[in-house]
Amino acid sequence: MSAAQGPHSLAFRVMRLCRPSLHVESPLSFDPADLFVGEDIFDDPVAASELPRLFQSQSLKSADSDLTYRSRLLLHDPFDATGLSGLLVLPQSFGAIYLGETFCSYVSINNSSNFEVRDVVIKAEIQTERQKVLLLDTSKSPVESIRAGGRYDFIVEHDIKELGAHTLVCSALYNDGGSSDRKYLPQYFKFIVANPLSVRTKDTSFLEACIENHTKSDLFMDQVEFQPAQHWSSTVLKAGVHHSQNNSIRNMFRPPILVRSGGGIHNFLYQLKLSTLGTGQAKVEGSNILGKLQITWRTNLGEPGRLQTQQILGSPIPWKEIDLQVVKMPSVISVQIPFVVQLSLTNQTDRTLGPFEVELSGTGTNEEKAVMINGLHKMVLPPLEASSSIDFHLNLIADKLGVQKIPGLTIFDSREKKTYESLLDFEFFVDSD
Amino acid sequence: MFLSSNNFILLVFREKETSPDLSAETGARVILGNPCQLEGNLASMESSGSHQPETTATNLNADPLAITQHYTILNDLHPELSSLQELALRGSWRSILDKVSRARSLSLLRYPHDHLLYLSFNVLALTKLRRFSDALEDIDSLENLDSPSYCYESYPHLYPNRSGSMVPFSLRWLHAQLPSKLGKRQETLDRLYLLLVRVKSQFMIKSKSSNSLDVSVSVWKRREEFVIGTIISHHLSQKEFGVCLALIRDMISGDANNPTLLSKLGYAQMQFGDLEGAKASFDKVRELVHVNGSGAELLSEVGMKNLVSRNKALIYMVGKDYVSAVREYEECIERDGLDVVAINNKAICLMYLRDLSDSIKVLENALERVPTVAVNETLVVNLIGLLVLLPMILMPPALEFKDASLLEWYLVATVYLVDCC
Repeated sequence: MSAAQGPHSLAFRVMRLCRPSLHVESPLSFDPADLFVGEDIFDDPVAASELPRLFQSQSLKSADSDLTYRSRLLLHDPFDATGLSGLLVLPQSFGAIYLGETFCSYVSINNSSNFEVRDVVIKAEIQTERQKVLLLDTSKSPVESIRAGGRYDFIVEHDIKELGAHTLVCSALYNDGGSSDRKYLPQYFKFIVANPLSVRTKDTSFLEACIENHTKSDLFMDQVEFQPAQHWSSTVLKAGVHHSQNNSIRNMFRPPILVRSGGGIHNFLYQLKLSTLGTGQAKVEGSNILGKLQITWRTNLGEPGRLQTQQILGSPIPWKEIDLQVVKMPSVISVQIPFVVQLSLTNQTDRTLGPFEVELSGTGTNEEKAVMINGLHKMVLPPLEASSSIDFHLNLIADKLGVQKIPGLTIFDSREKKTYESLLDFEFFVDSD
Repeated sequence: MFLSSNNFILLVFREKETSPDLSAETGARVILGNPCQLEGNLASMESSGSHQPETTATNLNADPLAITQHYTILNDLHPELSSLQELALRGSWRSILDKVSRARSLSLLRYPHDHLLYLSFNVLALTKLRRFSDALEDIDSLENLDSPSYCYESYPHLYPNRSGSMVPFSLRWLHAQLPSKLGKRQETLDRLYLLLVRVKSQFMIKSKSSNSLDVSVSVWKRREEFVIGTIISHHLSQKEFGVCLALIRDMISGDANNPTLLSKLGYAQMQFGDLEGAKASFDKVRELVHVNGSGAELLSEVGMKNLVSRNKALIYMVGKDYVSAVREYEECIERDGLDVVAINNKAICLMYLRDLSDSIKVLENALERVPTVAVNETLVVNLIGLLVLLPMILMPPALEFKDASLLEWYLVATVYLVDCC
């Protein structure tokens, strides 16, 4: 390649090809009955019988060579006022480009000289910090010639998998006119890829995923799936799912999950279950991997984008087989005056558990406690069926003033010989009497 | 034909203080055009001594000219109405402004309904010329549109036995729309929703009336659809798709077999990305048109066929099957050379097929062949976009002539669009 090449005969032009949009144009057109007469004139029976015919003959008068602009004034279908004519409009600007989308570009190489250009080897590639991806290479079959004033067009596509600066490098190696010198033209088109979403997760025995939209347009959530890791199974929880009607009606009227642009959020809820239940506290060695979230969204005219999150880690607290909650607490608790607390024990497994023995932890010690059971130290509860719960009362007495806790309760499953400790963490205020 | 029973009789008897009716002016027109008729009628009136609608109708029917001349009939409502209509249909908004200002300055407008009619044309013309603040000012010069001074019953001597509002509905609509053109979108939405309430209540009142007001009822129903449609367009432009879907569904529940409405649901779904939903909507449209033959009152047979075809083409397009999409659009254009949506969309698909020059040719041909429908803002915007992609076409000397005419077209188009929205 010669050092001094002179002006180039060829030049590249690129246009990003996202999908077009359906244009919304608010027309300024009317039904003749709204234009030419008072609004209540049709109450008059004579007008009612004569005017509609008159107006109809006006508006339907469309010859093949319609030289009036009547379609710009007269509205035939009232719903044309919605502005949805079905007209497509090309994207007006480059727009923003996000991770997970597909970059598609129309590239046109044009010969602006007065000579023919021969043996053109065209290359197009995407360069990022990390890699170079070849999109097009005509070295095996170079374009024989591009005549003076002619052009060669092509379309390239690339799935965006990295963030940050990207460069579309278009290059042409060609023979100029009759000369045997090979000229080289590189052209660079830069763009930046941003992050479209952020996903925040929160989990206990449920996984709550919050998807936030950082793009400039609303995102239609086409598919959001949680792919659980080994040993886990997941069910998505949705409110008010109707198992009604046939598929097509449901599709036509299903409310879309649209996440608003610039910070809108949508939450998804999944229930996770360990598939190997029998092992009790399944704590995987090292980190607790729950799985990945796979998200497919669409923007205008179905332009797709796809992302997968990193592995989502669960908290080391294993999923609770039984759950203890405080149901009712007296509003005023005075020192050294007994009070009753209503508790609820829930069996969260799918098998019968129990019977249970309930007692305060650390009963063996002689240490002075702030809150004690007033009465028998041990209480027996009958077996609980799967997914059921039972309410029971605890008689307590507080010996000290101030903020106190219900002391650790131990629940012992006498059949399975399993102890559940410290299930409750509940604070209350003890007042003087 | 529309000629109120009291027509030219009242005019003739005006000096005797018989109240002229809405169409009183026409009396003059018809009389001037048909003096023989007048005499004939006068004779029959004198003999019967009362206003007999049947008698006058028969007499008019006897004169074929009076019936067939459309503009005469329109002029029954107001003498200048047909010329105002012609100007409006031709997009001669400045001429309309001149006409209105002349009528006002020469005090040619005698009746309250004349004033309102002229004012509504004035406001419309100003709006079309994008003089939005002037338009709003003109409307604001009126009292509240619900004021009794705009009702027939306030002038019993002018409009005997006539009641109701004489405000043209377009005026109310413009009153609601104009703030958004001046950037006050929320004000427009408020006014549109209030207008909707008013339209719905009028519909209820007329439906329940003891007189049979079928035509009036259907007119108000159409107005309800018109206003909801306008509201939808505002929400769409702000991408508030949730609201739009709810409104469209509401309309569909009352009019489930409307193929144009269902198509619009499909376009909305497609725009925000619900392709499955759009497909389901278009399938329903096809079923309605082919199986039930619905929509005959809205579109011609060709129109319906083209609607189904265009929907099909959109589905091909989102599936990137541009070849099939182009084929569908070509069938549409063959059936109806004025189908500007098919023409425009065909050009877009050609571009995705890398056929830039044909894409441009399609749009240019349309502008030359059918300028009055093709000069559409979107189409011109697309054409300019394509031209920007077509580099250096303006440079080589051989192409200069073509460019000059092209440029001229776009200048004309732009000026036109600015002139007449």
